[in-house]
Amino acid sequence: MNRSLAVAFNALGLCAIALVLAAAFAAQLLLGELPCPLCLLQRIQFALLAIGPVLNVRFGPRPSHYAASLLVAAAGAAFAMRQIVLHIMPGDPGFGSALFGYHYYTWAFIGFAAAIVLIAVMLLFDRQFEDDSVHPVAVGAFARTGAWLVIGLTALNVISTLLECGFAACPDDPVAYELLRRLR
Amino acid sequence: MACLESRTTMEFTALFLAVTIVMLAAWWGSRTLALALFAVTLVACVATYLHHASAVLKLSF
Repeated sequence: MNRSLAVAFNALGLCAIALVLAAAFAAQLLLGELPCPLCLLQRIQFALLAIGPVLNVRFGPRPSHYAASLLVAAAGAAFAMRQIVLHIMPGDPGFGSALFGYHYYTWAFIGFAAAIVLIAVMLLFDRQFEDDSVHPVAVGAFARTGAWLVIGLTALNVISTLLECGFAACPDDPVAYELLRRLR
Repeated sequence: MACLESRTTMEFTALFLAVTIVMLAAWWGSRTLALALFAVTLVACVATYLHHASAVLKLSF
């Protein structure tokens, strides 16, 4: 796999992360399911997962960029597993609704596990690292779109979380947008 | 207790803001700056998780 193909795959990864963030927003806005603190932490990890692809697109593929995303994916998988274990007792309905039989945190664990595998697969191809310069490179429209989608959706999450939690700690089981409720 | 509460105020909003800044630094700034900000943000995420993981759970059987 040469450098340009690796950058294309990284751009695809950015679009996949943007899709996950958009799906989380859709569940929040259309289904009215407000994310709990652990759910927010997993969403933050999905956004932070984009650090590797953004750096790879901007400065060219480097093992350290993949390693950064690998650390985030491992942390995200641990956070999601914690929430799965919290609801593992028989009879526990879980938090929020299920999508295709799994709750969002189970899907998050599957997503982070898939990210770990995919990053490991990308690291198998040494030819992408032959040019070891780390100067900014020309970025294509596809990669630019993916990067800005992730940045935009993360910025929207800043506003959404501020509305949900207000200026206090986020409630364990949020049922309303705290800041909007206080302003009324 | 008040000290603990003020420490955890707006933590998730702050983390999302930090991730946004990390991404903007990675896109516009230097690679070193982006990686340094990324490291700080990841440590803050893990610290937030550990804070919540060590909180007492309200369970009833």
